[in-house]
Amino acid sequence: MENNTSTISCPSTPRWNSERPFLTGRFHQETKSTSRFADTDGYSVGSLSLGFEKAIGCYNAAVQELVVIDDILSAMVGIQGRYVSIKRAHGNEDKYTFQVDASMDLALQELAKRVFPLCENFMLINQFVESRSQFKNGLVNHAFAAALRALLLDYQAMVAQLEHQFRLGRLSLQGLWFYCQPMMGSMQALSNVIQRASANNFAGSAVLNLLQSQAKAMAGDSGVRSLLEKMTECACNAYLGILERWVYEGVIDDPYGEFFIAENKSLQKESLTQDYDAKYWRQRYSLKDGIPSFLANISGTILTTGKYLNVMRECGHHVQVPLSENSKLMTFGSNHRYLECIKSAYDFASSELLNLIKEKYDLMGKLRSIKHYLLLDQGDFLVHFMDIARDELTKKLDEISVEKLQSLLDLALRTTAAAADPCHEDLTCCVETSSLLKKLGTLKDREKSRPVPDDNDLEEPVSITGLETFSLNYKIRWPLSIVISKNSLTKYQLIFRFLFHCKHVDRQLCGAWQAHQGVRALNMRGTAISRSSLLCRSMLKFINSLLHYLTFEVIEPNCHVMHKRLQTAKSIDEVIQHHDFFLDKCLRGCLLLLPEFLKKVERLKLLCLQYAAATQWLISSSIDVPSLVDFDGSLVPENPKPSKLRTPSQALKLSSSNKTVADSILKFEREFNAELQSLGPILNSSSKAEPYLTHLSQCILGTGNEQ
Amino acid sequence: MPREIITLQVGQCGNQIGMEFWKQLCLEHGISKEGILEDFATQGGDRKDVFFYQADDQQYIPRALLIDLEPRVINGIQNSEYRNLYNHENIFVSEHGGGAGNNWASGYDQGKGVEEAIMDMIDREADGSDSLEGFVLCHSIAGGTGSGMGSYLLETLNDRYSKKLVQTYSVFPNQMETSDVVVQPYNSLLTLKRLTLNADCVVVLDNTALNRIAVERLHLTNPTFAQTNSLVSTVMSASTTTLRYPGYMNNDLVGLLASLIPTPRCHFLMTGYTPLTVECQANVIRKTTVLDVMRRLLQTKNIMVSSYARTKEASQAKYISILNIIQGEMEPTQVHESLQRIRERKLVNFIEWGPASIQVALSRKSPYVQTAHRVSGLMLASHTSIRHLFSKCLSQYSLLRKKQAFLDNYRKFPMFADNDLSEFDESREILESLVDEYKACESPDYIKWGMEDPDQVLTGEGNASGTVDLKLAA
Repeated sequence: MENNTSTISCPSTPRWNSERPFLTGRFHQETKSTSRFADTDGYSVGSLSLGFEKAIGCYNAAVQELVVIDDILSAMVGIQGRYVSIKRAHGNEDKYTFQVDASMDLALQELAKRVFPLCENFMLINQFVESRSQFKNGLVNHAFAAALRALLLDYQAMVAQLEHQFRLGRLSLQGLWFYCQPMMGSMQALSNVIQRASANNFAGSAVLNLLQSQAKAMAGDSGVRSLLEKMTECACNAYLGILERWVYEGVIDDPYGEFFIAENKSLQKESLTQDYDAKYWRQRYSLKDGIPSFLANISGTILTTGKYLNVMRECGHHVQVPLSENSKLMTFGSNHRYLECIKSAYDFASSELLNLIKEKYDLMGKLRSIKHYLLLDQGDFLVHFMDIARDELTKKLDEISVEKLQSLLDLALRTTAAAADPCHEDLTCCVETSSLLKKLGTLKDREKSRPVPDDNDLEEPVSITGLETFSLNYKIRWPLSIVISKNSLTKYQLIFRFLFHCKHVDRQLCGAWQAHQGVRALNMRGTAISRSSLLCRSMLKFINSLLHYLTFEVIEPNCHVMHKRLQTAKSIDEVIQHHDFFLDKCLRGCLLLLPEFLKKVERLKLLCLQYAAATQWLISSSIDVPSLVDFDGSLVPENPKPSKLRTPSQALKLSSSNKTVADSILKFEREFNAELQSLGPILNSSSKAEPYLTHLSQCILGTGNEQ
Repeated sequence: MPREIITLQVGQCGNQIGMEFWKQLCLEHGISKEGILEDFATQGGDRKDVFFYQADDQQYIPRALLIDLEPRVINGIQNSEYRNLYNHENIFVSEHGGGAGNNWASGYDQGKGVEEAIMDMIDREADGSDSLEGFVLCHSIAGGTGSGMGSYLLETLNDRYSKKLVQTYSVFPNQMETSDVVVQPYNSLLTLKRLTLNADCVVVLDNTALNRIAVERLHLTNPTFAQTNSLVSTVMSASTTTLRYPGYMNNDLVGLLASLIPTPRCHFLMTGYTPLTVECQANVIRKTTVLDVMRRLLQTKNIMVSSYARTKEASQAKYISILNIIQGEMEPTQVHESLQRIRERKLVNFIEWGPASIQVALSRKSPYVQTAHRVSGLMLASHTSIRHLFSKCLSQYSLLRKKQAFLDNYRKFPMFADNDLSEFDESREILESLVDEYKACESPDYIKWGMEDPDQVLTGEGNASGTVDLKLAA
């Protein structure tokens, strides 16, 4: 039964273990099944006993009683006597019938039959012990069987004592019956249990559950109940051993598959950086069916405890749970101390892992660094990057060289404030294949696992360039990939792409603004250019407000809240939850989950870009280039000209000669204002459901004086 | 080292405030007086390279040019403990050292004479930067060198570096007390023309207001130049924090200015700073919150430009744009709440012809400078009341001009030779149109200003007629 050497699932035992009935105590039924009752012609095996052939009825009652006691004492340990036969019921291995010689004194017969249930229970239990001691039945069964065997030894000792009394001539059949009484109930209860266990072929936790429920059911009979509880305790010991290794070491030491936690070895921790669903974290260890009822409530805690310990082991971090005599999971008694043990093990594991991730792997630093780059918390590198990568980014998708972008990005990172951050080397750039809107569509598909019938998604902008698809990637290493999984990183990237494009629009508009600055020297009062500069201001205001909203109203406060929560988080799961919550809140706040709204914003940004692109042309074609030179010349004080460009005739010429310019500026203005105004109702209507949108509408539409 | 900014400090005042500015920057970045990074300055995350570059021996050198026509102030700097900070090649003192005699024309003319030497220095600095963003000019508009030579430099920069931004920190004279510079109105007017036409952004530092703040807010009975200059350096360093401590937005000068400046000419900014402290002064430490700071910034008494407006006009004045740079530790949600509160109480009077709101930039505080206050704030604002400052200049000029006083000093120089005073007239014209434009900004119909009738350009020159036209148009 004890097997320490082998841990493989089911070691084989020598064949004689099952084939030789003499070892299992079953030989009586099998070899001597042909008893004298079956073999009526007096085929004698043990002819030593003289009176064997004779029917018992031949003797007088006193002799009969002695013979019967002798036979019953044998039957009590499963040995067939001369006048008491034991037969296995046909078709039912676990059923025995006892028969007494019919010629026996009726009173003796009656007394003898009362003892038979005890004999039967003994045989059943004995057989159960033998059969459950095989390897394949698992540790719980082994432990249970061992406990039963110890009990049976007591039983056998009692039988031996009875026999001793009998030999001394002090035992009557009545006496025997009297001495058997106390055992009857408990043996009966045990046999009930084992019958149900063997009928269903229970193993592992099922046995424990059965024992426990039986013990509860027997609440009225304190003796039986305490016996069953003792059995439960013994059987649990093996199980608790497994549990102990799991909650204290994170090891599944479960050769027979009895434990309720399963490990899926095919999931590798490296998969976290690619797998969108973070399967490794969620599914590497899972709960199986058949949780022992006394652990059912705390099974989740047990699972995570071991999971945490495993993570630490995977990190190469040696964990030693501080063991004290109290932490030994010996009993699961009603005092619930085992629950406390598990709880403290959990507390230890989670705080240890949290410490490890926070301190050694610097989770907060990493999050801050990601915020610098992906949420543009330190946006100066981007300014420089956009400066130097402008040409590359305006190319078509298939012409962009990612390697070149990468080297430019590295350059930008090295020469800006990012250089001080050692994490900046983890930043790589990538070029996605689809526009943000489309990407969001696929994200939604994945989250809700239902296709979103959005016909608009199909229409990609005709010329999608690197500016729309540029994104950053951040190398996340184990074990931080638990928190910043692929899923989280993708959300960061979505926000980044949105911000990046807004920044691009902002830059283009700044360029347009600068172009207007260039013609400052001209008096533009009442000209198309002055109108244009005001339009430029409106657009800048729009994009700035949008950026302000995104960063200061959405990202920063949420980030702040998250960091506060992370300070107080007790476990890594809490950390993950807070982090995911933060990202979801940001995605929502950044309008990325509102496609109809996002489309409007994209449309506005497109208008801004078109306008910015046209500015240079608008300005240069509304100014007479030669006259500009002329004007510049006039600045040189040696030849001051009394009549400058600001003379009426020339000003007139300026504003009238370019009606087309004025028209196109007015057109831009009309379209832009119309789009912006149409945003108002949408914002107002949807802000009831999404309160943060009121912030946005105040930012974008609020003119300060309006209420 | 992208987006560098070269600082030009011209004249006595320019060099004085420039000096204070660099002192402040060195403090904030943990750079010693010799330009060596202090041992404690290891936090990183700041951008020293916008204003400094590193010499071969890792010494930080300001991208600054110290220019003056007289040696007094620059000698002072060279004898101070900061003498090793600057690149000595970048110091220009006129050979004869006679100064400009508070004469704009003299400064301008001398500027032309030394153009080559100075442009060489500027070119060298510009070549030394990766992608130069622009120039910052520190000067006063009343004296001779800062105003005259500064004007000349502005024109030259505009010519040679037309794609680069030019921002100026211009100190306006104290108009409350009689100045020793009697020709101050002439100088101011001539400089203002260049500031209007040749600068992208002018941060107006009004000595009148600085003095008032020093007296009223800081309770100094007789504020010294050093004390008012420290106010200036506070403003200058605070207005560049978003460039030096990168954040979400406004990480480059163009982004910072573009959102503030509505039309090419209306690029004069007012500043406000709170809470103000001056060295060696035990100040009562107040509780500072974001709302508190923002509210104080909107109070006229904290604004560093005095408004010469009469009450009626003052009530018409409107903010065109506001950027609040808030530094220090704060809860991010406070920003929104404060903006909300200010909006609800209608504390700001914004223009009506376009979208406007308070923009906020949150910036880190230098970890090396200990301040008693948790939050401090700088306001950069474009406000129409600034026109009254120009009107005041104009009226002072008119008084002087009517008397034909002191014009002889100017006639000595080529620009005004042969009694050609058209430069004055032209400057006045430009300044008047600027005043008009600011005035028009107060009207809700500004967007159509001059649109209907191009002939307005004809009549719109004068102050009064412009108003009439506006009303007709409305």
